[in-house]
Amino acid sequence: MIAYLIRRFVQSIAVLLIVMFVTFVLPYFESGGILAPAYVILQNHATPAAVHAFAAQNGLLKPFYVRFWDYLTQLILHGNWGYSWKNQQTVWSLMVTYIPRTIWLALISLIITVLIALPLGAYQATRRNSVFDYSATSVLFILYGVPAFLLCLLIITWFSIGTIHLPTPPTTDSAWLIFTDPKAFILPVAALTLLNLAFLSRFMRSAVLDVLVQDYVRTAKAKGCSQRRVLFRHAFRNALGPIVIILGLFVPGLFGGALIVESVFNYEGIGYQTVNAATYSDIPTVLGITLLTTILTLFGNLLADVALGVINPRVRVEGRS
Amino acid sequence: MTPHDSSSEEFITPGGRVSPSELLTPDSMSSREQTVLAAEVAKGHSPAPLADDESTFAVFVPLWRQRMRIFMQNKLAIASVIYIALIFLFCFLGPVVWHSNQTDQATALFNPENAPPSASAWLGTDASGYNELGRIMFGGEYSLSLGLLAGFVTIVVGTLYGMIAGFLGGLVDTVLMRLLDAFLSIPVLFLLITLVTVFPRTVTSLIVIIGVIGWFGNARIIRGDALLIKELEYSQAARSMGGGNWHIIRRHVFPNSVSNIVTVSTFAVADAILFLTTLGYLGLGMPLPATDWGTMLNNASQYLANGYWWQLYPLAVIFILLIVAITYVGEALRDAFEVRLLER
Repeated sequence: MIAYLIRRFVQSIAVLLIVMFVTFVLPYFESGGILAPAYVILQNHATPAAVHAFAAQNGLLKPFYVRFWDYLTQLILHGNWGYSWKNQQTVWSLMVTYIPRTIWLALISLIITVLIALPLGAYQATRRNSVFDYSATSVLFILYGVPAFLLCLLIITWFSIGTIHLPTPPTTDSAWLIFTDPKAFILPVAALTLLNLAFLSRFMRSAVLDVLVQDYVRTAKAKGCSQRRVLFRHAFRNALGPIVIILGLFVPGLFGGALIVESVFNYEGIGYQTVNAATYSDIPTVLGITLLTTILTLFGNLLADVALGVINPRVRVEGRS
Repeated sequence: MTPHDSSSEEFITPGGRVSPSELLTPDSMSSREQTVLAAEVAKGHSPAPLADDESTFAVFVPLWRQRMRIFMQNKLAIASVIYIALIFLFCFLGPVVWHSNQTDQATALFNPENAPPSASAWLGTDASGYNELGRIMFGGEYSLSLGLLAGFVTIVVGTLYGMIAGFLGGLVDTVLMRLLDAFLSIPVLFLLITLVTVFPRTVTSLIVIIGVIGWFGNARIIRGDALLIKELEYSQAARSMGGGNWHIIRRHVFPNSVSNIVTVSTFAVADAILFLTTLGYLGLGMPLPATDWGTMLNNASQYLANGYWWQLYPLAVIFILLIVAITYVGEALRDAFEVRLLER
């Protein structure tokens, strides 16, 4: 298991390098080349001299490989994530301010999602094609079909502007908003939960369905196991494997969903900052945030592997194929 | 197959008398497909025509027709297909039958803005005075065609990538899959926004960008298929008879993973339309004078507090139902291809 985890870790580093390279090389494709962002930052009427000065100051005039090497060494040796062109602060200080706010949002909603989705999916699978299964499926399908922003808009219209008046998050830099003003979290968390609910419970339903037709479940029934024992000891335990893996793969989706929820609710988290930075061509910020979310994703995958080892003893011995 | 044996006269094929089980197992079929057939027969859905059919030959019913039948039994799936077809007709044929000005801003400004539904404008007008009903058709043309084409790109790229990785295996597989891991680790929306801000927003670039974003998951599924199928007996047999890589991919691996490719492509189209709409909402959709459903929903959202419901709800309902219908067709297709569910 340890050797397996080390191998996964080394692979994660490789993955990280690829992601860095891809995000680093992208701005070069912009029409106008790497200097194009300078015009956005300095406004359109910037003189060529000003643009040149900006480019020289931010190292944009150096060749690509030199910049990439500089970025890598600065990041690894000095923990320097770059300097935000638009916000006039280091990318790291920006992320430290906003990442916790996103993590609160994502984590709370993930916990609620799992608590609802897993029992729901499992129950649907055991009552396949019942009235309950059909009605839950149709509701989930509609939730799946609603684009994230539309769901948020509808939630705001119905529950914040309408007769029921729940607050939306106030504009603040505080990372501890969840404790000072928990009511403001109800709507964003509900939106993010509903967004992820459909996917996860559908997945749980099919995972349990897959397990229920296996021979060992039939054997368990045949040898006289109680319904409860068949479900909990044999079916659910084996269905949890795919669920744990999907939860690990789910982290980017969680951030993506949070991005939309944040920009609709004007909740100043990391997703909100990404949209802002992208609109203003603030490349160091976009780069830094993408890198950090990638690291968190890879960490999520590693965590899922460890959890899988806890659930499934076979993985502990030979490693996931 | 006792019920049919009693009327054996009716089941004489051009090649002589054959028992249904022999009929049903051409050697090109995978064991998985044979299981489908076995299950079909066991359930009493004999693939051969029933005795009260007037036919005198036991016609071999092609596999796709049997799957079609399973699909057709799903009434909701049929309704979904009809709905999708209607929406396509509405968007692409509608403007031909009933023309409305959707591109000339100067003329549109003579119309009342944000007018509620009336006899002249059935779904009211939007903030620029465009007829909302015609606008839904006009925006739909972009959303649907971009979605379809981008979905097509994801399928082609994903299938090729997955097939190559799964079939060649070894080092190639490892490298390609780690690359895929890298792509999968970047939150999709982050990548999408970065790409769209970097490249100019034209029809072609939007198709390519959404296409390039969407294939990661597909590639993984197809790769799993290829990995499995190339080890199966018939692929090995083909190889032992001297079949080359290309031959095996073309005649065995690809045909046998078609089920997954078809299912995955329906989801890919739904995802592509969703991506495009999200971009539109973020203000990164089709630039004027064109529009798409996401941009329209974005415009409508600015007037939520004013109560201009006709700008939001009709489009929202059409859109959500469309995504639901496409997704449901995908699920129904998966059921039609699913072996184990038939055994239940």
